[in-house]
Amino acid sequence: MTAAPGDAGTGAGSADGAGSADAAVTAVTDEIRGILAAATGRPEMLGIPADMPLFGPPVGLDSLTGTLLLREIHRQFRVDVAGEDLNLDALATLGSLAAFVGERAGGRNEVS
Amino acid sequence: MTGAATAGAAMTRTVKCVVWDIDNTLLSGVYLESGERLPPPAPGMAAVLSELTARGIVHAIVSRNPPAAAEHAAQVTGGDFVAAECGWGRKSDAITRIAAELNIAADALAFVDDDPYERAEVSFALPPVLVLSPEDMADAVGWPEFSPSVVTPEARRRGAMYAQRRRRMAAQRSFGGSREEFLRSCGTVVTVTAATAADVPRLHELSERTSQFNSAGAGLPEKAFRSLIFSPASGVLTVRLRDTFGDDGIVGACVTEHSVTGHSVTEHSVAEHGAGTWTVRLLMMSCRAMGRGVIEALLAWLARWAAREGAQVVEIPCAVNDRNVPLRLALAAAGFRAADGGAADRRAAGGAGTAGRAVFRLDLGGRLPDLPDWVGGPGKP
Repeated sequence: MTAAPGDAGTGAGSADGAGSADAAVTAVTDEIRGILAAATGRPEMLGIPADMPLFGPPVGLDSLTGTLLLREIHRQFRVDVAGEDLNLDALATLGSLAAFVGERAGGRNEVS
Repeated sequence: MTGAATAGAAMTRTVKCVVWDIDNTLLSGVYLESGERLPPPAPGMAAVLSELTARGIVHAIVSRNPPAAAEHAAQVTGGDFVAAECGWGRKSDAITRIAAELNIAADALAFVDDDPYERAEVSFALPPVLVLSPEDMADAVGWPEFSPSVVTPEARRRGAMYAQRRRRMAAQRSFGGSREEFLRSCGTVVTVTAATAADVPRLHELSERTSQFNSAGAGLPEKAFRSLIFSPASGVLTVRLRDTFGDDGIVGACVTEHSVTGHSVTEHSVAEHGAGTWTVRLLMMSCRAMGRGVIEALLAWLARWAAREGAQVVEIPCAVNDRNVPLRLALAAAGFRAADGGAADRRAAGGAGTAGRAVFRLDLGGRLPDLPDWVGGPGKP
């Protein structure tokens, strides 16, 4: 779904270092669940699956919660989703967002 | 000189909120050193505060004093302060929190403090904020930054609306359900109607003041709105918002050009788009209405209206910049897409944060966005 180039690098099937890459994406996914729960004020966001769409019910990401989410992702991961993705395709699902962020954050969030 | 000179030379921007220090700024004296007799207001302060309020500018307090000092300052100056941050942290952090709470961008804030160290700290940490000494401020009341060209009833009630907003946000924090359920629970009513001549000052003001939700990225003069309202080739819709917490008046609008068969605008636009394309020249909403279902309602209304009139596509040419990401989120949520939407295009245009333009399109052949029952107006599509 995501328009991000280089998706192959984070795909579950990639060979070398796939385990650690998957673990990194899983960690990013969990952190984004936490950010979503805080932005929407709804703890049930902590339990949504990775293939859950972010726009439309039940998540219902809108301009307010979306702005809070992107602002917090920028702060925590130094990834400017809106700056790189005009159509915000990365926000299609929780998983596509985590892949987009995980791929660009690299080791930077470990440093900061 | 505290950045005032450069600010004056910059593009016309207007201050929406003045953040005040207390000691030797709002008050003549130091609150905690005043003993029995609390300090009086600084000379002329009450008049400055009420004059700015009348122009639609709101006030806030940032101070290292206890909260009681803010209450005292409000009482003796008669000022209506929509937010107060009292504490020992950095003032730039307190100002950032106020900006977030009021949803006002830093470049629409002014900060007034008698202490040159505090002014330097805020100038350094928040370059877009207009930083002034109390002496500068006395003069600045006459500057264009503090002189919006129009002041509408909505603007004069801005302080009261921020107070309503605070109560609404407190209620929302303690509310368990979804946003939709919350909007319903507080009796939200969104009304969409065709604009009339009486709405022109507010439409112009909205076009000047909006940035997070402004598709054109620029204002429109009153004259332009007047001719658009009376032109058969265009439509101007206004959106009103109210709930049990208060009435926000007109919070949004859009200007459309119709090139549906039988309503051709100009040969040029018909040739360019073909019949059946509606172009939205301006889509805008007050950031105060963010999170209250208004932009979603307006986009759904537009799509359903255009579809009912026989259009196949709605196009929204959009400025793309750091400021109007909220608008892009609303467009994405409503199903609009830019044809050249890839990440590579953005990088080619100069990388993250670079301003650009894009045309967002919605194909009306697919599933149309829903309009909830609390959105109404004549001819609801």
